[in-house]
Amino acid sequence: MIHFDEMACLLYLEGQLDSARSRELSDHVKECAACGDLLHALQHETALLSSALTEDNESMPARLISERARSMPPWVWTLAFGVFAAGAYWFWNDGIGPWFDQLSNAGFGGTDLFSMILFSGAFWEGWGDMIDVMQIGALILVAIVAIGWIRRRLRRPVAIAMVMSALLLALALPQPAGAAEVRRGQSISVPAGETVHNDLIAAGASVRIEGTVEGDVIAFTRDLTVTGHVTGDVIAFTQEALIDGTVDGNVRVFSRGVILQGNVGKNVSAFGSSVDTISKSNVGGGMIVLAGETDFDGKIQRDLLGMVGRTDLDGLIGGQAWIRGGSLTVASSAEIRGPATFEGREQPVVQAGAKLASPIRIEILQEMQRNRRSTARIVIRAIFGYGGALVVGILLLIAFPGFFRAVLRETGSIGLPIGIGALALIAAVFLLVLGVLLLFVGVGAGVAGLLAYAPILYVAQVFVGAWLGNKIMGEPPAVTSAVIARMAVGLLILRIAEFVPVLGGLVLLAVFLWGTGAVLLGFYRMSRVESAPVPA
Amino acid sequence: MNPAEQAVTQDRIAQAKAGNAEAWGELYRQHAPAIFRFCRRAMPTREDAEDATMDIFIKVRQKLSQYDASRPFSAWLYTVAANHCWDLLRRRKLRQDLETGEVENMPLEHPDPGQLEQLIERRSGQEVRRALDKLPARSRMALVLRYYSDMSYDDIAATLGVRRTFVGVVLLRARHQLREILEGQGGASLAAGGAA
Repeated sequence: MIHFDEMACLLYLEGQLDSARSRELSDHVKECAACGDLLHALQHETALLSSALTEDNESMPARLISERARSMPPWVWTLAFGVFAAGAYWFWNDGIGPWFDQLSNAGFGGTDLFSMILFSGAFWEGWGDMIDVMQIGALILVAIVAIGWIRRRLRRPVAIAMVMSALLLALALPQPAGAAEVRRGQSISVPAGETVHNDLIAAGASVRIEGTVEGDVIAFTRDLTVTGHVTGDVIAFTQEALIDGTVDGNVRVFSRGVILQGNVGKNVSAFGSSVDTISKSNVGGGMIVLAGETDFDGKIQRDLLGMVGRTDLDGLIGGQAWIRGGSLTVASSAEIRGPATFEGREQPVVQAGAKLASPIRIEILQEMQRNRRSTARIVIRAIFGYGGALVVGILLLIAFPGFFRAVLRETGSIGLPIGIGALALIAAVFLLVLGVLLLFVGVGAGVAGLLAYAPILYVAQVFVGAWLGNKIMGEPPAVTSAVIARMAVGLLILRIAEFVPVLGGLVLLAVFLWGTGAVLLGFYRMSRVESAPVPA
Repeated sequence: MNPAEQAVTQDRIAQAKAGNAEAWGELYRQHAPAIFRFCRRAMPTREDAEDATMDIFIKVRQKLSQYDASRPFSAWLYTVAANHCWDLLRRRKLRQDLETGEVENMPLEHPDPGQLEQLIERRSGQEVRRALDKLPARSRMALVLRYYSDMSYDDIAATLGVRRTFVGVVLLRARHQLREILEGQGGASLAAGGAA
């Protein structure tokens, strides 16, 4: 006798067989005990499954019980976006705008901020390479996301083929030229007569450039001395820097002491305790200085932008001068050919004989006024910051509700996210150092990766705020507006707490650690690969 | 659901579509427990089920205007819930479980009816639920769709993205996996070569 298999029996029980086959099976079962037994067993199995699945063994969680079904009131959106727009307007007018103006005043021409920073090479020509790398990285990222999307719809071999093609394509892309001569050692020297036909990266206790470098010089050292000729830029992290030779490009120096004695073809940016230009020095472009004290005895052909504690001006400034700081002395030998502005606490001293295109525009910063103004600013900033955080939270909640709840759940663990957040902070500091190093050897990917930490840091407050709101107002029902209301309350409390002296700082730190840890854990939970169990 | 209850539900739906919050609240209270239970069975953890339930009702509210009143509301609700849960599970990259070929080609050993009966009698609902939690997502989802939501093979095929003729294979395979897990808690092998 030919029996029916289990599949046919199951389909028969489920009413999925066609009538002829169903009749055939039904007739067969009347004569076949084995198939009859199998049918019965399957029927019992179905009953067991149904009862096990439908048994009401778990109560509804509290947060799902009360549904006050309200759509988000329009005023929430209006208010949130109004605050956001006001915040953006304020940020541009009070933050970016003046900064841009100041840089323009200092001789950094350009039609807009991005073209100025990124494309005119005002800061560093290597930005171009870095942008290339970042663009390639972004393209690859987009490709991976696209493949991930396609992967769900196509079978594995096709997806693998596509991934491999994309990788080959990425490898085939022209790599940015990264050739540079790297020298390490106690004392690094390019002696007079020697010519380095390349960029030079030097790391050591002292670096001396007496010969010629046909490219950029990037130095990590205690003492940097350039008496020779550099056709590109000089970028240096040092304790003491002396530029006595000729640099055709820009000079960017982070140093305790900077002395400029030679010729710089383009611009100078110097950050240090003291920055001095000697009378024979000449800067072809403009100069930006952040320093404790400065003596400008040399020539600056274009504008000067300085934030300096004490400034003595004896030389020439070919363009405008904008100086902010404690004191300013303009010696009789000094000359400023453009308009000059000084913002400080003391009246500047202008000696007789000093050549000025126009009288120095003076803004004396009154402590009282400043304090009052800054207090108002802090409050305004806090209000707009609150609005901005709330909008970000709402957008996250609407766009990624699953992620939002996953992170919120992680926030509730408190200890674990704080620990993870602390680890992430340490890792971020490490990455920052790495990123700076990578930046100066022309690879921007590390820096781009580091930038991802900033938004995580920002949204940290959203989740801690939402958690706090839940604790105060109770678990929210399943409506967006209730979650937003709790988040709004929590964020408000955090903002107020930040104003408390000492405690505010601690609260801020705790929020950052806690929130970043929760966000990272949320990412992890959302992306974890759940393996199918292997039956025993 | 009797015709009077159906009429009440349809009336509530119409009111909820028109923006009546009370009517929507009634709909929620009426259906949320069942949808939570569905999610509890389909999703791996209670937290996942809670989140999914909340998201499903947010989605249902947004899509309420798309609901076709000629269909039973609960069936539509289960379809939305099933799609949402399955989408979540798929996003968690349950790759080995999604490859249809592996399951299609897997031989299913014929069970011994007597031993199967014994196994069923020995196991409680709680043990079955625990075993269900250990099933691969698709197998678990298929059983839940069929034996909890009472979905048709067509709807199951549409939700899981498989051919209709393959639904029976998925269900049978899921039953075999479930038996193996239950067996692991004690008992002899079922595949003892019964009728073939």
